[in-house]
Amino acid sequence: MTNIKDYDNNITPNWCPGCGHFSIQRALQVVASRLEIPNEKMMVVSGIGCSGRISGYMNTYSFHGIHGRSLPIAQGIKASNKDLTVIAAGGDGDGFAIGLSHTLHAIRRNMNVTYIVLNNQIYGLTKGHTSPLSEVGFQTKSTPTGSLENPIRPGIVALSNGITFLGQGFSAYQEQLIDTIVKAVQHDGFSLVNVFSPCVTYNKINTYQWFREHLVKLDEDEGYNPQDYQMAMNKLIETDGLCTGIIYQNEGTPSLLEQLQPKDASALSKMDLQLSKDHFNSIINQYR
Amino acid sequence: MNKSMSLLIGGIQGEGVISTGVSLMKALSSLGYYVYEKRDFSSRIKGGNSAITIHAGIEKKLWVEDQVKVIIALDDDTVKKYYHLLSSDGIIFYDAALTLDFQLPEKIKLIPLPITEIAKASGATLMKNTSAMGFISALLGITADNVTSAIKNKYKHKGEEIINKNITVLKNVFQYAQENLKEYQTLKLTPANKISRPLMMGNDAISLGALAAGCRFIASYPITPASEVMENLSKLLPKHGGVALQVEDEIAAVNMIIGASYGGTRSMTATSGPGLSLMMEGIGLAGMTETPIVIVDAQRSGPSTGLPTKHEQSDLIGLYFGGHGEYPSIILTPTSVEDCFYATMRAFNLAEEYQCPVFLLSDLSMSLSHQTIDELEPHRIQINRGKLYQPNTGQEEYKRYQLTEDDISPRALPGTAGGLHHTTGLEHNELGFPNDQPGNRRNMMDKRMKKTAPLQENEEIIIHSHQRDVLFLSFGSTYGVIKGAMEIAEEPLDYGYIQMIKPLPTQQLKRILEKYKHVVIVENNYSQQLATIIKSELGYHEKIHSLTKYDGTPFTLNEIITEMGGWI
Repeated sequence: MTNIKDYDNNITPNWCPGCGHFSIQRALQVVASRLEIPNEKMMVVSGIGCSGRISGYMNTYSFHGIHGRSLPIAQGIKASNKDLTVIAAGGDGDGFAIGLSHTLHAIRRNMNVTYIVLNNQIYGLTKGHTSPLSEVGFQTKSTPTGSLENPIRPGIVALSNGITFLGQGFSAYQEQLIDTIVKAVQHDGFSLVNVFSPCVTYNKINTYQWFREHLVKLDEDEGYNPQDYQMAMNKLIETDGLCTGIIYQNEGTPSLLEQLQPKDASALSKMDLQLSKDHFNSIINQYR
Repeated sequence: MNKSMSLLIGGIQGEGVISTGVSLMKALSSLGYYVYEKRDFSSRIKGGNSAITIHAGIEKKLWVEDQVKVIIALDDDTVKKYYHLLSSDGIIFYDAALTLDFQLPEKIKLIPLPITEIAKASGATLMKNTSAMGFISALLGITADNVTSAIKNKYKHKGEEIINKNITVLKNVFQYAQENLKEYQTLKLTPANKISRPLMMGNDAISLGALAAGCRFIASYPITPASEVMENLSKLLPKHGGVALQVEDEIAAVNMIIGASYGGTRSMTATSGPGLSLMMEGIGLAGMTETPIVIVDAQRSGPSTGLPTKHEQSDLIGLYFGGHGEYPSIILTPTSVEDCFYATMRAFNLAEEYQCPVFLLSDLSMSLSHQTIDELEPHRIQINRGKLYQPNTGQEEYKRYQLTEDDISPRALPGTAGGLHHTTGLEHNELGFPNDQPGNRRNMMDKRMKKTAPLQENEEIIIHSHQRDVLFLSFGSTYGVIKGAMEIAEEPLDYGYIQMIKPLPTQQLKRILEKYKHVVIVENNYSQQLATIIKSELGYHEKIHSLTKYDGTPFTLNEIITEMGGWI
C-alpha cells in the first residue's frame, strides 16, 4: 500500500469547516493508496461548484472543467488513454441539473469511469439555491416559500437506465465510503457513487444528524444481494433512496471500450499515427 | 461534341435522384472528366423535389453554369421548377410515365423517354434510376461498358440477382437509345484522357484529412451538412485503432474531445451553426486550458434552424470573436475539396503547435458538393505534435503554463511521470492552479492572446493576377464561382481567396490593400462579415467593398459578372 499522503498536494481546501466534502477527498486518497494507483496514472476530473474544487486537491493529474461537463471530459480522457484510472466528480447540480443528460448517457455508454456525486442537496457556492435533489418544501433564496418541484431520485434514475454499478455513501461513514469507492473503481464499467455530503452552511435540514437518523446501511443487511436488480429497486423505493453501500452491481456487461477495441489494443494516445501510401491509396480507391 | 456540359437531374426526394447523379459523376470521373455538383434538397426524407446539377467537362471547374443544356425529369416538379434554367438550345428529357398536365412556354423542347417503362419491363419500377442513368450516359456518349461497371459497383452489396436485373435495364436502354435517340448526338462529350480520378465531397476529404493527420477520436452529433464527417470516420477510425462516438449533444461532443485531446489523442468534432452555438462554452474551456481541438463547422443558413439545407457563410464573426471572454483560436477556410483535405491535416498540426481550438470553416456547398479531384498526397504535410513535455532528469518542477519566449509551454500528457499538474478553466498560474492576482492574470492573458501572433505574418491569400487594380476576394466555396466568372469574362479582374482568417494575415493584407485601388469582398452573409473583420483590424474603409448574398443559394456566374461590370 502506498501512503495516503502521496495523493495529497498540500493545498488547503477552501471548503467550510465541517463540510462533508473533506471526507470524500480523504476517501479518494485512501482508495488510491489501497489500490496502489501510480499518481501519474490517476485522473480526477471535476465540474464547477464547491465539489468541483476536489480535483485541485489531489496529487494526481486533475482537470477542473466547466459546470455539468465533468463526465464528457472524463469519458474523453478514458477513451484517449484507457490505461488511466479515471474518476469524475461533481455536485448534485452538476450531475442532476445542468449535466443530467450526460449522467444518463454515461450510464448507457458504460465506459470504465467512476463518477462520484458530492451530494449536499443545495447549491452552496452560489450561496444557497435549490438543487434538483432538494426535497419539496425546501426553502432557499430562490425558493423562499419552499421548493415546489419533485426531487430527482438519483438511484432509481440510474438503475432504471441500466447502470452496471451503483453505490451510495455518507461523508460520516468513511470506511463504508472507502470500500464502496474501491469496488466502484475496480468495477469494469461505469460506476456511480452518490455520496450524501452535508452542507453545514446552507442546508439546515439534511444535516449529519438527519442522515444518521434516516440512512440504512446495506452492508449490515445480511439478506441484501446487490446482484439482484429487483431487490435493489425495491430497496431504493422502500428507503426513499436513503441507503448506503453497494446498491447494485452487474459484472456481466462489457464496458464500451472493450466492445470497441481488442483487449490488447494500445491506448489511442499511444498509437502510431503514420499512414502508409499504399494503405491510403486503397482508401482513396473506394472513391473511384 | 461538347468540351463541357451542364445537366440537371430531378425527381421525388428519397427516390434515388441524388445517388443516381453521384453514380453518374463517379463514372464520368473514372473516364477522365472533371465534374462539379450543386444540389437542391429539402429537410425531409421522402417527398418533395430534389435536384442535382452536374457540370462535366475536360477541364477542372469549381462551379456549375447558371443555365443547363439538359434536364432529366423524373417528376413533374422538376419540369415546373427548373425549365427556366434551360439554355436556348436546351432540351428537357422527361419520364414518359409523367403526365405533365401544365402549360410551358412553347419554345421549351420536351422529349419523352421510356424511363419507367423499360425499368418495369426489365423487372421492377424501382430500377428507374438505373434506367435514367443509362439514358443520360447514352446521351453523353458514355459506353454501355463503362456504365455497367459503375452499376456493378453501386449495387455490389445487393447481390448477383439485383446486379443482373440492373444490367438488363441498361442493355435495353442503350438499345432504345441506339434506335431512337440518334438525332441528339450533338449532346455527346468530347472523349477525355481516361485518367481515372477520385470523386468526393468536402466532407469526405475532411474525414480523410483527419485520418491522415492522425486523428483517432471523434465525438459528434448528427447535423446537416456535417454528418458525413462522423459517418465516414465511424467506418474509418475503428480500422485504424481509433474510436468514433455519436454522443448525446454537441456540448458532450466538444467536452469529450477536449478530454480526449488533453489525454494525448488527436481529436475532433464536426458540426454546423446550431451545434457550434452549443459548443461555445466548451471552446472557451479549450482556449483557457490551452487544449488543442479541431472543430469542423460546415456552415448553413442561420440563425436558429434557419434554412438547414441551404448554403451560407455566416458563422465567421461568431467564431472570430466567439464565446464569452477572450481566447486565441485559428480559423482555416478551404476553397476546394482537395483543400479540405490539406487544411484538415494542417488544422491538427496548428492545434497542437499553438495549443488552441482550430476551426475548419466549410460551407454547405463545399461540404456536400461532389467534385472530381486530383490525387491527394497524404505526406505533403508531416505530422507535428507541437511542444510535449519529456520526462527528464527531474531538475525543475514541471510548469504546465510556464511563461516562455514564444508563449507556448510544453504539454505533459496524463500518464507521464514527473508531469503531474492541475488543469482548470479558472484563471491559473504557471503551475496550473487557480490564481486571481492581477499580475498573474495579465501575464497569462498576454501569453494566451499573443501565442498565435506569428501566424499573422503568414502568406494566406492566394491571388490570381491579371495586373488589374481591382481585386475580388472571397473564402470557402464562393471562390469557385468567382474563378468561373473571371475565366469567361472578356476583361477579367484580379481575384483570390483567403485560407486563414484568424489570425488575420495582416502583413500580407496590408500590402494587398496598399496595392489595389479597390478590394471587393464576396461572401454569403448579410453583414459583410469578412469585410467587417478586415476593416476592424486594418482600416482601409474607402477601399473595401462588399458583395453579399444571403438567400440560401450560392452566387451564380451571372451575379459575379454583373458585379464585375461595375468595376471595369
